[in-house]
Amino acid sequence: MRLPIPAALVAATALLLSACGTTENTAAAPSESAAASGPVTVTDARGKAVTLKAPAKRVVALEWGEAEMVASLGVMPVGAADVAGYNVWDKAAPLSAEVKDVGKRNEPSVDAIVGLNPDVVIIADERDSTLVPQIEKYVPVVVTKSSDASRNFDRLREDFKLIAKTVGKEADADKQLSEMDAKLAEGKKTVEAKGAAGTPFLMADGYLEGSTVSIRPFGKGSLVSDTAEAVGLKNAWTGKVDPQWGLGQTDVEGLTAITDPKTVLFYSASEEDVFTTGLAQNAVYQRLPFVVSKKIHKLESGTWTFGGPKSIIMTADQIVKAVTA
Amino acid sequence: MRARTIAVSAGLVVLIAVLAGIHLTQGTSTSGPLDVVKAIFGQGDAQTLAVLEGARVPRLLAALLLGIALGVAGAGMQSVARNPLASPDTLAVNAGAHFAVVAISAFGLSLPLVPVGGAAFMGGLAAAVVVLGLAGGGAASPRLVLVGSAMLLALQSVTVLLLLLFEEETSGLFAWGSGSLTVADLRATGQMTPIVVIAVVALVAMGGKLDILALGDDNATVLGLRVRRTRVTAIVLTVALTAAAVTVAGPVGFVGLSAPVITRLLLPIAKHRALLPVSGLVGVVTVLGADVVLRAIMGSAAAVRVPTGVVTTIVGAVVMVWLARRGRGSGSRRPAPAGRVGVAGSTRRLVLISVVLVALLAVVPVAGLMLGDRMVLLGDLANWVTGNTGTALTFVLDQRLPRVLAALLAGAALAVSGCGIQSVSRNPLAEPGLLGITAGAGLGAITLITIVPAVGAWSIAGAAGAGATVVFLLVYGLAWRSGLDSDRLVIIGIAVWSAGMALITLLIVVSDPWNSAKALTWLSGSTYGRTLDQVVPVALALVALTPLLWIKHRELDLHALDEDTPRVLGMRIERSRLVVLAASGILAATAVSAIGVVVFVGLVAPHLARSLVGGRHGRIVPVAAALGALLVSVADTLGRTVIAPAQIPAGLVIAMVGTPYFVLVLWKTRP
Repeated sequence: MRLPIPAALVAATALLLSACGTTENTAAAPSESAAASGPVTVTDARGKAVTLKAPAKRVVALEWGEAEMVASLGVMPVGAADVAGYNVWDKAAPLSAEVKDVGKRNEPSVDAIVGLNPDVVIIADERDSTLVPQIEKYVPVVVTKSSDASRNFDRLREDFKLIAKTVGKEADADKQLSEMDAKLAEGKKTVEAKGAAGTPFLMADGYLEGSTVSIRPFGKGSLVSDTAEAVGLKNAWTGKVDPQWGLGQTDVEGLTAITDPKTVLFYSASEEDVFTTGLAQNAVYQRLPFVVSKKIHKLESGTWTFGGPKSIIMTADQIVKAVTA
Repeated sequence: MRARTIAVSAGLVVLIAVLAGIHLTQGTSTSGPLDVVKAIFGQGDAQTLAVLEGARVPRLLAALLLGIALGVAGAGMQSVARNPLASPDTLAVNAGAHFAVVAISAFGLSLPLVPVGGAAFMGGLAAAVVVLGLAGGGAASPRLVLVGSAMLLALQSVTVLLLLLFEEETSGLFAWGSGSLTVADLRATGQMTPIVVIAVVALVAMGGKLDILALGDDNATVLGLRVRRTRVTAIVLTVALTAAAVTVAGPVGFVGLSAPVITRLLLPIAKHRALLPVSGLVGVVTVLGADVVLRAIMGSAAAVRVPTGVVTTIVGAVVMVWLARRGRGSGSRRPAPAGRVGVAGSTRRLVLISVVLVALLAVVPVAGLMLGDRMVLLGDLANWVTGNTGTALTFVLDQRLPRVLAALLAGAALAVSGCGIQSVSRNPLAEPGLLGITAGAGLGAITLITIVPAVGAWSIAGAAGAGATVVFLLVYGLAWRSGLDSDRLVIIGIAVWSAGMALITLLIVVSDPWNSAKALTWLSGSTYGRTLDQVVPVALALVALTPLLWIKHRELDLHALDEDTPRVLGMRIERSRLVVLAASGILAATAVSAIGVVVFVGLVAPHLARSLVGGRHGRIVPVAAALGALLVSVADTLGRTVIAPAQIPAGLVIAMVGTPYFVLVLWKTRP
């Protein structure tokens, strides 16, 4: 503690003096979205009626699925959480370089959100609950359901329409949803035509940590499972899954529950590819039906398994291609 | 004695054989016990054979390797450090290895298995080298554990930070952080086995030297032992064992701590040639037993989610509490009261330090209000105070004020709490975190969040307070046996703390395995989303209890001396201790309800205060309070500013910023 204390104090004082002044423009910029098409009222996933003066132009979306929905409706968000991560994991609707990063998804920066002067902030239901009332004091908040393993497609439609109404793009939303439906129906026809209807599938993420392995199967009710079933496949995973996301967890031995030789494996792996590296030499793995028949398909990187209609189409395309090839 | 050693070893081997048999019949596939038995007698179906080869045997062998490595490593470290609290966990070797593995994953370095294993080894070794170097090589034992704990907290914080910042890349690593036996194949176990075998053999061969080392450095030197070389060799060997275990299964907690303790109970006067191998056997029983019981209770499919290390930690905690209550002291020698730094308490120095602290206490909160994702100037603050700011800026400052206040007040409360607890427990490692109070608060909060996901902030604070109170009463009640022995209090506290953290991990991985980031954020101590009413309890506790503890500063001084002096002087020692501990507990609980689980402040602030103004509590308490407030406030401000718009929880910054200071103090005061 033999610091030159007086010098430090002088420095601190100098710093403080130099910090005088203000950062605000005295003429605070008012929101320009007055004209457009009059007030909008939406009822969000909380059942709360949220009223906006006009359809939102400046949107901040704090979860990737929601950011994708907003962007795919032709409204580039002004801010999103973890933009860099989004652009790696969700390539269905890329965000432009102007979209401002407002921090990580679990703790987005309130300063950054407010600093963007948004018309609305879209928050997914499962994320931090203290955030909603805080932000709501300043700017309207619309909460989406994000996932529901008991009715994920209906949930997706509701969330998408909710967001579309918020940004005044309901016609676009209807168009995209019918495009999605058409795509799924068309995919189903293609699958049936090839005689592949009812093909059992396993969809999973895998993690290799050190030398330990954990496998996360997408059970019935998960969004990607619903997508695969919509094009005529059948989920082979019957283990326990969680009620929101429809995700299960198992080890390689647990995969022996899958016995149908026709089963196809889909997996998404961004970095470490556990299915081709960590498990390749494993005796149990080598006997699994999809390994024996070599029916293993890795989803393209950037296929977000918790996304919007664009992600669904991207996923469905790959699934149909894989089982009809 | 030899007969007893043989009997105990034989008993353990039989127990291991039985457990191994049961272990092989458990698993997530349909191959049942009968199929396994058939397979063992050469009549199994191909599927069962594959399951045995690809999943069950690797898991069993991993458990065996882990138990031996950690058991022997723990016994070696406890001997070298002459401290029953030494272990791969408390010497930061586990944490160093774990950090290395998480870092590789977070930065997306796709490496084949061997380099990952090598990284774990290097990480563990680096941590051990730093800990040893800072402790001064052959320095006295409490310092080693002191530095080790500081390093552990720092490494854990950086690891948690990586888990938070790279949520997608590391989503599986949260559970792995507690140790998992779900190995992919035999490769890692096979590669690590030679290392473990060589290290165990070498350590056992050193047994005679370790026996001499146990007599104390001076005696050992007189007897012709090259103390420093023996100690360094033994440490390197134990680190190799620990790193091998982490490479295979992640940091499996508490095996290295509890196995030697149990062994000393079974063989109270064993020499190292017996102590080391038997500890290895006890380690195997711990790991294997935990795995068998877990899968028997939960069913194999559900048990996949639960890291084996969580169970070993809880098992180990129960064993330690039981041991501590039996009063056998687990062969412990009382750690000398460390950190009592001889600083001349000159009045001039005191005045100077007070002036600086008061100035900083004025500057730091203002800086906290000004800095953040959006920078604000003093003119803005003046406008805000007079109500002249625009909507956006008003909002920014309105939500920043509670965060700054929460950091200041919680920091002060934790520091004062640490002063009280360190004094009455006479243990340099004692602090609210290590007595289980913060873990209890965290457990209360996480339990409530799990049961009622959308619960309000006030209820969470209440649950945290309730959890802290319950755990504190539990620790106190368990430690009370016709008097309160300070060693016993701290050992039980550490046991309960570890069990609490393990239960928190268990709750998260079972209830919401895919949203660990939120829980991690809360657990690592954050001012995120605070409101003014959440700050009220800690403010009230500070106002009421700090003066109370300060008035009792002479009692605190006496407590810190030894057990007898206060009695001789006619102090009612038990009553005084209860009052001090209750006040400290309340302060810590309210602090946790304000900012979550923050360790380190209660440890660092009193130490720093002592090094600045000497050992008298009349001076330590206010200085530590100021230091604690400054530390957390600066940490909070940094966390909100440095990587904005992303944020680092204050508790993590504290560990990272606080550790160098703490280590510096230790370095300057090395013998």
